[in-house]
Amino acid sequence: MESSFREATAEERVASVPLSHLSVELGHLYAEDISAGRDSLAAYFQRVAPWAAEARLTALARVSGQRRPRVSTCFLVDDYFARLGSPATIIPDLLETAADSGLHIDYLARESGCVDADQVPLAQLVEGHLVPDPAPNSTGLRPAVSEAGWLCNGQRSPVNGPSEAMRPVLPWAPAVENGRRRHSIFLDIELWDQTDGRRTWSCPFLAAVWQLLRLGLLRYQGRDVVVPKAWDHDTYPQEWDDLPAILQLSPRAAPFSAYRTFSILDGRFLPVEHAVRTILAQVAVEPLVLEQIVERSNGEGMRLAPEISSRIAYLFLPE
Amino acid sequence: MTSGTSSVHRATTHRPDPGLVALGEVRTGLLQHSAAIPHQLAERILQLVPGERVRLSQRPIAHALSPELMAGVDCRLAAASGTHIDGTGTVLTRASITGGTVVQASARAVVGPARADHRLPWSHYMARPGMIETRGKIEVDDLAAGFIGQPTSSSALDLSALSRRMMDVIQGSSQLDHAPRMRTKRTRLRWTARTVTAEQPHGLVEFAIEDDVLRTLQLRTKIDRIAMVASLCENLALHDWLLSTLLELIEREQRGAPHAPQAVLRLRPAIDSLLHLWMPAAHIDESLHPVWEALERRAGFTRQWEQLRDRIRDQVTLSAVTLMSVVTEGSASE
Repeated sequence: MESSFREATAEERVASVPLSHLSVELGHLYAEDISAGRDSLAAYFQRVAPWAAEARLTALARVSGQRRPRVSTCFLVDDYFARLGSPATIIPDLLETAADSGLHIDYLARESGCVDADQVPLAQLVEGHLVPDPAPNSTGLRPAVSEAGWLCNGQRSPVNGPSEAMRPVLPWAPAVENGRRRHSIFLDIELWDQTDGRRTWSCPFLAAVWQLLRLGLLRYQGRDVVVPKAWDHDTYPQEWDDLPAILQLSPRAAPFSAYRTFSILDGRFLPVEHAVRTILAQVAVEPLVLEQIVERSNGEGMRLAPEISSRIAYLFLPE
Repeated sequence: MTSGTSSVHRATTHRPDPGLVALGEVRTGLLQHSAAIPHQLAERILQLVPGERVRLSQRPIAHALSPELMAGVDCRLAAASGTHIDGTGTVLTRASITGGTVVQASARAVVGPARADHRLPWSHYMARPGMIETRGKIEVDDLAAGFIGQPTSSSALDLSALSRRMMDVIQGSSQLDHAPRMRTKRTRLRWTARTVTAEQPHGLVEFAIEDDVLRTLQLRTKIDRIAMVASLCENLALHDWLLSTLLELIEREQRGAPHAPQAVLRLRPAIDSLLHLWMPAAHIDESLHPVWEALERRAGFTRQWEQLRDRIRDQVTLSAVTLMSVVTEGSASE
């Protein structure tokens, strides 16, 4: 006789989130880019438009057969590092100038939504999942990364600090990248700084959270953390804080998160994205989530690599 | 596509492969608290990864299991032959509390050869949680033997230090009163699991008590899902600890005045907090039950436990009779 018994609280369960094939980021602008005015926005979207043509996106989505891929577009507004003008004027400007170039923004996200969204402390959540890239001879007993607020891709150059004055002076040695190909490209990233006990997360760290959200890889207590809110009003509030973290602007848009992401950015964002990839390489995504997404992609006839960074594509525009 | 909840089998990692060996260590001890703790407190203490769930079950016994923590390693691996083997990858550690009373901390990794002869970008290893890839060929028997015989102070991969640190984190929790009702030892179970081979198609289980704290278990089994093998080893370590602890308490009690009626009072904490925890193979996948059964046949865990339990009950009964007769004699002589 076969029998079964289960307790829901004892099971490994994680939510399965709706997924597109490709999430396209049409831009990421600083406050000054937005305050430069409507003409400058229009010029920006004109530069972006040819690279977001349907044929290009279909190629990047890499779906099998002749199926039409599910593609959604998004735009990230920086309301975290600077005070922006009012969403009541900025959002219509963005949407209209994009539309003038034939671009449609499905989802609009606020950068501060990468810190906290719907009572979920996303930035802290990701920080708590960092597993530093181990230097040679690491047996797993290194101090936690959160003590320093910095994350690197190798071994820092040894330096004698003031508290170590009594120790013999170490000769200078270069910083070394782990797993380098003969020569190092060492990168040390500031994850946050603190003034008066208040932590400010760095731009690359929040951009890493943003990629994880777009890839549908974050869960909180097994639940989905990205729930875009439909916005079907014609007007927008005066304050960014009065908007949800992610607004869904088109009711029939494909899902926000996707198996793969593609970001079209100005060339000046290249160092930020190098840092983002270095951070993402050190984020431990819940194994169940990793497996679930690979299985789902297999079910759709796609071959998705297990490494997160291989799911991310960029186009850096000349300015 | 709709949103929903699903539980997914861990099918994509750790496929059985004769070139793999799983290594692990489990530490078991009495929770540093004066009483069994409720489920909610166990859940708070085991909340080791922000945003990840503690898995809780009530049946057949209260059991709380922490999420898994990952640590990066890039170091030498102990080999019995002394061959220099370097590996890079991640180790998984986790902790559990059973019956609100017994705490366990475990660390484990599956070791296998890498396809590349150089270290790959870290993202490669992070996509394979709990896997260590060695550069160059490995002999799994050599690695398994090297791990089992590894001295605690060595510069090689040290799962012992990782499980100890996890144990210290749980036992050091500020939510515990650090006043346990009895003195007990912590035990360590070091285990290896290799896949079944043509020569050993029916599996193999070797369990050894190396000294008063160290036990070793060597398995050859179908390692479909290494997390399940780890659960089996944790379950075995729990029962070995219960047995060892009870034996030690009885021995200690007998070193005192064994026949004094008060002696049985010294066993009271064990009766209160340990006797009901015997639940072999609870929460163990059915495919691994034969391993338990094989161990039972050879080492007779349950037979010995039942015998000890009966002995304690007999002593309690005898003491009660003795106490009653003392009382009766006392009242008769008045």
